[in-house]
Amino acid sequence: MKVELLEERCVGHGRCYDLAPEVFDADERGHCVLLQARVPEQLREKARVAAENCPEHAIRVHE
Amino acid sequence: MSVDPESPPNPNPETGEVVLFSPEFARCPQPVYAGLNAHCPVARATLTGGAVISRYEDVMDALRRPEIFSSAMDLELALGTQRPMIPQQIDPPAQTRFRKVLDPRFSKRRMAEIEPAVRQHANELIDAFIDRGRCEFDQEFAVPLPCTAFLRLMGLPQSELPYFLRLKDGIIRSQTQVEDPTPEKVLEHRKKIGQEIYAYFEKVIEERRARPGDDMISYLLTTEIDGHKLTDNEILDVSFLLILAGLDTVTATLGCNIAYLAANPEQRRRLVREPSLIPSAVEELLRWETPVTAVPRVLKQDVSVHGMELKKGDLVTLLIGAANVDEREFPNPDQVVLGRERNRHLAFGGGAHRCLGSHLARMELQTAMEVWHQRIPEYSIQPGETPRYSPGIREVQYLPLVWEPRA
Repeated sequence: MKVELLEERCVGHGRCYDLAPEVFDADERGHCVLLQARVPEQLREKARVAAENCPEHAIRVHE
Repeated sequence: MSVDPESPPNPNPETGEVVLFSPEFARCPQPVYAGLNAHCPVARATLTGGAVISRYEDVMDALRRPEIFSSAMDLELALGTQRPMIPQQIDPPAQTRFRKVLDPRFSKRRMAEIEPAVRQHANELIDAFIDRGRCEFDQEFAVPLPCTAFLRLMGLPQSELPYFLRLKDGIIRSQTQVEDPTPEKVLEHRKKIGQEIYAYFEKVIEERRARPGDDMISYLLTTEIDGHKLTDNEILDVSFLLILAGLDTVTATLGCNIAYLAANPEQRRRLVREPSLIPSAVEELLRWETPVTAVPRVLKQDVSVHGMELKKGDLVTLLIGAANVDEREFPNPDQVVLGRERNRHLAFGGGAHRCLGSHLARMELQTAMEVWHQRIPEYSIQPGETPRYSPGIREVQYLPLVWEPRA
């Protein structure tokens, strides 16, 4: 699985790094930073849930 | 949840009007939202005459297009300000420059640093009334908990909380401070309170300039945007917003959450059994209750929404509470699912103006819910009493709770 961050959409809700801190982190402003674009098997579910809770649809998941 | 069969329907399908500013709506807005989403996606607010946009997709679309749905409307809202509040009432790109310096002060990481103090304060507040077996939740918990944390961040004296609350309520809940509140009297009152707020913070700015601390005002005095220091007026315009937003919204949310859980014991017991559900329960209750029901915008150009022609200059209400129960976005929107897996609620707004304090609010809400349910897992609304919700931001201003005191 790969995740893609659409930076121009992120406004810092922070749902992604709340729900999947292994995959997403925050910059100084609290906007999303991708820690790993290739998501290992054991984190797939978490990454998917994080993407589905972003109100801005700023994270795309490619299976 | 029931609607009085005697009262006219809200929304009114014949006129397309909706009442958004009443105690009845504040107590139980969800059926009104459902009516709007199903039959009336663009309604008219009885109070302002402005358009009310309710469905999730339409609200989100408007939030993402500040160039059309502008926030620059200080005077239209008649909140007693002399200039727009910053960053809420200005548009990108200027708004973005302010958010770049304000966001780091309200980041999740920074808010986590004050969590232990909030936790301790929650415990102290509960210590004061737990043996009594009852409390008035608003005054004894929901008001003091977030206000104390907020005043600490601002570096303002705790002893002056009653004064700040009077200023905040003077703007947000002017009706409670004005006798026979006509629109003219309300505006006059707000202007007077507004002048008091400016004067107070002018004094604070002078003090911090002389003796800087690690508080918000001192930070704003030393911060630069594109190589320029902020002007005193800009600092005042940020402070005006923070005092209104920081002293009201988490109080309202705590009351809405606890009132819901007091009335729904099965949901509450599940939270007590499974405290790991608290973070997602906080999100779900934010969705269901949406204490800040709406955000205002003004149109920069003519636009058509669901066949309604809206004109440049029109005031528009984006009803985020209704968007949050739209079945097009949320399956089973009328069920409160504490572990709801997919929850893109808009309780903190969205787009460029996403609530600056959302990480502070989440930390306070999660901490309060955790501590409260550890200490007082079983509670209910005092028999014979009815919680009282205020119109506008849905604060539960009267929420008498009872529980079995531990022997």
